[in-house]
Amino acid sequence: MPRNEYQSQLADLRADVVDMSETVAERLEMGLEALETGDEALAEAVIDGDDEINQMYLDLEKQCTDLIALQQPVAGDLRFIAASFKIITDLERIADLATNLGEYAKAGETSLFPEVDIQELGDVTLEMLAESMAAYAEEDREQCYAVNDRDDDLDYLCEVASDTVVRELIEHDQLDADEEIEAYMEDVSRFLLTIRDIERIGDHSVNIAARTLYMIDNNDELIY
Amino acid sequence: MSEPETDAEGTDEAVSSPTPGSNIAGTSQPESGALIENPIIHSQDIDVFYGDEQALQEITMEIPEKQVTALIGPSGCGKSTFLRCINRMNDLISAARVEGDLLFAGKNVYDDDVDPVALRRKIGMVFQQPNPFPKSIYDNVAYGLRVQDKEVTDEIVEEALRGAALWDEVKHQLDESGLELSGGQQQRLCIARAIAPDPEVVLMDEPASALDPVATSKIEDLISDLAEEYTVVIVTHNMQQAARISDKTGVFLTGGELVEFDNTQKIFENPEHQRVEDYITGKFG
Repeated sequence: MPRNEYQSQLADLRADVVDMSETVAERLEMGLEALETGDEALAEAVIDGDDEINQMYLDLEKQCTDLIALQQPVAGDLRFIAASFKIITDLERIADLATNLGEYAKAGETSLFPEVDIQELGDVTLEMLAESMAAYAEEDREQCYAVNDRDDDLDYLCEVASDTVVRELIEHDQLDADEEIEAYMEDVSRFLLTIRDIERIGDHSVNIAARTLYMIDNNDELIY
Repeated sequence: MSEPETDAEGTDEAVSSPTPGSNIAGTSQPESGALIENPIIHSQDIDVFYGDEQALQEITMEIPEKQVTALIGPSGCGKSTFLRCINRMNDLISAARVEGDLLFAGKNVYDDDVDPVALRRKIGMVFQQPNPFPKSIYDNVAYGLRVQDKEVTDEIVEEALRGAALWDEVKHQLDESGLELSGGQQQRLCIARAIAPDPEVVLMDEPASALDPVATSKIEDLISDLAEEYTVVIVTHNMQQAARISDKTGVFLTGGELVEFDNTQKIFENPEHQRVEDYITGKFG
């Protein structure tokens, strides 16, 4: 096959994006575990590790721009690079949201509403991320649609979780001391932010699936 | 050679009156479905043979008026052969034989009553290597007019040099030899010579392949400007050049086959055929 160097750079890009996604998934898993266990060291590790993810993003961004500038890709190759360029942004944002989970874990009470299963929500996002990246790696259009469908389930679960929090707030016994009220408000806010961030991780996985479908078939129906 | 479906009589009339959207029988759309509203050239099942060897196979294509159409493909695929069919330059090769219909403004250019010289007045050509005559810049432009017994005036020469984006660079040295110009200027001089007789179509066979990047970019800008007045058909090995400057692209592949003809954007973003995708992405060719 001609243009061997170019073909090998394309293969490297795909492998490196998948590598980045595995690291991001690992950080997300650590963030969720820190939330569950309150393990501050683990939470700190997720937060500190964000620089590494940012550097991976910058390296991959350069790989993409170098390929465009030096190899003038067209057609399927161009869609692959354009999709990869967008996907690494989604991966970097998922990593940012994982650091948020670390911050929440460090900040205090994370089991305020035992009826809301944050880990169940987190597991769904981990699966969506894995499935969207498998679709990218294997160019699997069916998997792209599956991730998109899965997001409806996640949105529903997040909505139910938020409703549960609000209902418990309404039914909650009055707190007397201002300090107690302040602390409770912070815990509740953090809990709601946790649900929101998890829902956003799902959205980023859908973005990955949407860009992958565009990459495979020039089909933009899942984008927005 | 089958009879064309036209009632035009006489070469001059036939080749000088393009009829946008004319009643060309059997018009076929590009394979991927792009619509050609004003085809000035319609190739229908053109086969070309060099002796026993077939160089082109059933080429059917509609070339739109006043647009840039690029023909790309690997060496030996027949794209230059097809270009030369349009103004019967293949007549100059004794072993070449053309079958099928090639309609220019509705008239088959291979009809017996078509005068190739008159045809080439309407369909000019620019070649890969700049080939100015060893004459003055002025006479290079005037030459094309003189051989066709057309009036030569300073105004026509100036207009042609302006049209080729060369006037400002040579207006004070019109009496100097065309061979003294740089390669890029020589090529623009050849373009001026080609457009001086006011053709309707300008064929270009790799017009920038012998030029440096700056001269190439001037030629590319010029091609885009020329398309406001003329129909431009360009053969190029440089796929990015085709992507930059053309409206339509035809992809010829080995065996003299036109595999895909469509809007340039479609060809370079999402071609229909895997063979085309493989060629333009460099996986073969």
